[in-house]
Amino acid sequence: MSIHDDTSSSAMTGDPITTTKKKRSLPGNPDPDAEVIALSPTTLMATNRFVCEICNKGFQRDQNLQLHRRGHNLPWKLRQRSGKEVRKRVYICPELGCIHHQPNRALGDLTGIKKHFSRKHGEKKWKCEKCGKKYAVQSDWKAHLKTCGTKEYRCDCGTLFARKDSFITHRAFCDALAEESSRVVQMVPSLISAEEQQPKLQIVVAANDSPTPTSPPTPIIISAQIQIQGQELPAKNTGISSCLNGSSSMSSSNGNGTSMFANLFSSSSTMAGELQRQQQQQQQQQHTSFADLINAMARSERSMTNVEPISLCLSSSNGSSLQYAAPFQPALSATALLQKAAEMSAATTNASLLRGLGVSLSSNTSSGQQQHQQENVHWNRLMESEGSGGIGELIMGGGSSSMFGSKPTTLDFLGLGMGVGGGSGAAKGGFSALLNSIGDRLDVAAGTWGDGNYSEQRKS
Amino acid sequence: MEQLLIHCANAIETNDATLAQQILWVLNNIAPPDGDSNQRLTCGFLRALISRAARTGCCKMITAMANSTANLTINTHKFSVIELASFIDLTPWHRFGFSAANAAILEAIEGFSVVHIVDLSSTHCMQMPTLIDAIANRPEGPPFIKLTVAGATADVPPMLDLSYDELGSKLVNFARSRNVGLEFRVIASSSSDGFASLIEQLRVQKIVFPEGSEGEALVINCHMMLHYTPEEVNPNPYNTFESSSVTSSSSFRNMFLMALRVLDPTLVVLIDEDADFTSNNLICRLRSAFNFMWIPYDTVDTFLQRGNKQRQWYEADISWKIENVIAQEGLERVERLEPKTQWVQRMRNARFRGIPFSEDAISEVKSMLDEHAAGWGLKKEEEDLVLTWKGHNVVFATAWVPC
Repeated sequence: MSIHDDTSSSAMTGDPITTTKKKRSLPGNPDPDAEVIALSPTTLMATNRFVCEICNKGFQRDQNLQLHRRGHNLPWKLRQRSGKEVRKRVYICPELGCIHHQPNRALGDLTGIKKHFSRKHGEKKWKCEKCGKKYAVQSDWKAHLKTCGTKEYRCDCGTLFARKDSFITHRAFCDALAEESSRVVQMVPSLISAEEQQPKLQIVVAANDSPTPTSPPTPIIISAQIQIQGQELPAKNTGISSCLNGSSSMSSSNGNGTSMFANLFSSSSTMAGELQRQQQQQQQQQHTSFADLINAMARSERSMTNVEPISLCLSSSNGSSLQYAAPFQPALSATALLQKAAEMSAATTNASLLRGLGVSLSSNTSSGQQQHQQENVHWNRLMESEGSGGIGELIMGGGSSSMFGSKPTTLDFLGLGMGVGGGSGAAKGGFSALLNSIGDRLDVAAGTWGDGNYSEQRKS
Repeated sequence: MEQLLIHCANAIETNDATLAQQILWVLNNIAPPDGDSNQRLTCGFLRALISRAARTGCCKMITAMANSTANLTINTHKFSVIELASFIDLTPWHRFGFSAANAAILEAIEGFSVVHIVDLSSTHCMQMPTLIDAIANRPEGPPFIKLTVAGATADVPPMLDLSYDELGSKLVNFARSRNVGLEFRVIASSSSDGFASLIEQLRVQKIVFPEGSEGEALVINCHMMLHYTPEEVNPNPYNTFESSSVTSSSSFRNMFLMALRVLDPTLVVLIDEDADFTSNNLICRLRSAFNFMWIPYDTVDTFLQRGNKQRQWYEADISWKIENVIAQEGLERVERLEPKTQWVQRMRNARFRGIPFSEDAISEVKSMLDEHAAGWGLKKEEEDLVLTWKGHNVVFATAWVPC
C-alpha cells in the first residue's frame, strides 16, 4: 500500500484512467494491493472542472466531457484503455477522526467517498420544503422529494402531518377523536347501556357454565384474539379478505404500522374484480377461508396464552370487555360458544378455546346463513341509497361516501378505522364483522363499514 | 454583553443606582428585543435585571422605569392542548427526552401485564400518546396502563388551558382507540415539597395492595420536572451552605429520590436540562444562565420564522425562565436546574444504578434528530445520552434501576 500525499494525488482526480468502469468495491474492505489516495476536502469537493464550451455544462471527469461533446457534434477523444492492468485505487475520508480516514477502511470509488464526506462531515444544505428534512447530498435530497408527502398522516380535523409521532400526539388530544367516539356510542345506545349493567356477570357465568376441560379464558380473550387475527391475516391473504380484515383490525388496534396499510392499499386496487369473483365463488371458497381463519387462530395462540388473568380483570373493569362482548350475544350466546369450544377441544388433542372457537363458529354458519342473507339484502339496499355504483367502488373509497373521504390514500383508510370506531365501538364492528365473515365474507364489509347500520339490524 | 450584564447585576446588588442605570441604558441600546439571537438573549437578561432591581427596590428610578415600561411584563401564553402538542413538536428540546424515555420504558415493561406510569413532566402528558401507541403495538399485546400525574404543580411555562381531568379523559379515549386499557389519576401534589403527597399515595397503595403490585411495573418518568423541587436543605434564600445540598439527605430532592427508591420502581427515567442554576450568588447564576439560555434563542431560527406567533410564545417562555432565575429569590425561584453530574450523584446516593440506553433507543433518538436542524447532536456520556446544540450540552437523559 502506498499513500499519496494531498498535492500529488489531487492531480489524479481528473485522470481518465481511473474512470474506466470497475466493479464497486465494498466499503471498508478494499483490495490490499490498491493504491490509497488521500484528497483534501477542497479537492475532493471540487466538482465539474471540465466544462463544455457550448452549453457550459460541467463534468467531473474529462472522459465524461468528451462523451458529452459527441452530442454537440464536436471533435472528441476518448483515452484508449492502456494495455497493462491499471492499479486499483481507493480513497480515504479527509476527516481525521472518521473511520474511513484509515487506509484499511478506505472506500473504493471517488463518488462514494465524496458522498460519504458530504453526508457525514458536510453541511446539509438541501432542505425539503415540505417536511424540513435536510440533506448534504443532492441526490439524497432528490430521492427524498420523490417520496416526501406520500407518507403523510391526516387527522379527521383536516390537519396534515409528515411525522407519525406528531400525528399521534395531535390525534390523542384532537377533538375529532372524542367526537367520533361519542358518535359511535350514540349510534348504539341501547346495546351499550344494556351491556353496561351486567357486563362482568355474563362473562363470569359463561366461563363457569362451560364444562371445558381446558379451562378456557373469558370472552375478553376472544376480542383480543380478533385483533391479533386481524393483524395476521392481511399478511397471508390477498384481495378482499385481507382488506376487510385489515380494516377491522385497524378499527380495533389502529396504527398497526405502515405495512398493514400498504397491504390494505395494494389489495384495494384489485378489489372490484376480486369482489365479483369472490361473490360467485363464495360457496367453494368457504372452506378455505375457514382454514385460514383457524390457521390464524392457531398462530395467535402463543401470544394469547401469555395474557395473564390480571390484565383481563383490569380491562373488564375499564368497561372494554363488555363492549367487545356485546355483539357476540345476539348471534350466539357465549355459553353456547364455549360449549361448542369444549366439544371441539375434546375432539382435537391440542385444542384450545381459540381453535375450538374457530371451528365452532364455522359449524354454526349453516344455521346462520339465512340471517346473513337477510343482511345481504339490507346491505344492498343501503348501497343503493348511497347512490354508489357498486360494492367495489364503495370499498375503494369512490362514490359519495363521506366516511371514506375523497382521496383513496392510505390516510383515508386510517380515517376509516377511526371513523368507524374511534373508540371502543370499533372493536364491536370488527368483531361482529368477523362473525359474519365466517358465513359470508361480504358481510364483513357491512359490519366493518357501517357499524351503526349493522347494530340497527341486530336490534330489529 | 455578558460582562455588561454582570457589571449591571453587581451594581444592582451593591445598590449603586447610578451605575446600574447607566449600564441598563447602554444595554437597552445594544440589545433590542427584535435583534439577533444574542441581542434577544441579552434583552431577556436586561428585563430580568430591571425586574430584580424593581423588586428589591434598590433604586427608585429603576422602579419607576419598570412600572412605566409596559413591555416588561412577560406574556406567557396559555396553550390549548392542540397548540401545545404542535409547539413541543417543533424542536428536539422535549422530543429528545420523549424518544429516549419511551424506548427505555418499552424495554423495561416487557412481560408486565400491568404498567403503572407516574408521569412527572413539565409538558403536561405530551409524551404519553406516543408512549401509549408504542405500548399498544408491542408484540406480546398491550398491558393495562395506570397513568398517574401530579396535579397542582408549579405554575411554570408551558402553561395549559385545560384541566388535567379533561386531559386525562382525552388520553383514556385515545388509549381505547388503540385497544389499550388506561386508568388516569391525578394526585394533587407539588414539586415545592418534593411531591410528598404523591409519594405518600404511591406508598400507601403499595402497602394496601401488595398483591396488586406483583406483575405490575412501576415506571417513574421525570421529564424536566425535578428541578422545580427545592434543592436547598433549608429553603432560605440566603443559606450559604449550598455545597452540602447534594450530599445532605434532608434536601427535598434527595428525600424525593430516597422515597422513590423505597417504592422499588422498575425504572426511573430522569431527563432535564444540563445547566446549573442553583447558586445563591446572583452573578454565578447569571453567568451560568447566560451560557445556557443562548441555546434556545440560537435554535429558534431553524424552526420558526420571525413574527410567527409561536415564536412569540416560545421566546416569552424563555424570558419567563430567565426572569425567574435572575429576579426571583427563595421559594419563588423555581428554575433551579442542576447539571447532570449532580443528578447522577443524587441518584447514586439514593441507591439507584444507571443503566445504558439500548442501541434501538439510540437509533430512535438519532432518527428523531434527523428530522430537525443540523446543529442538533447526540452524545453518549457513560450510560447517559446528551442532546447537544453545536456541541454544547442541552438536555441529558438518564435511566435508573434500584441497586
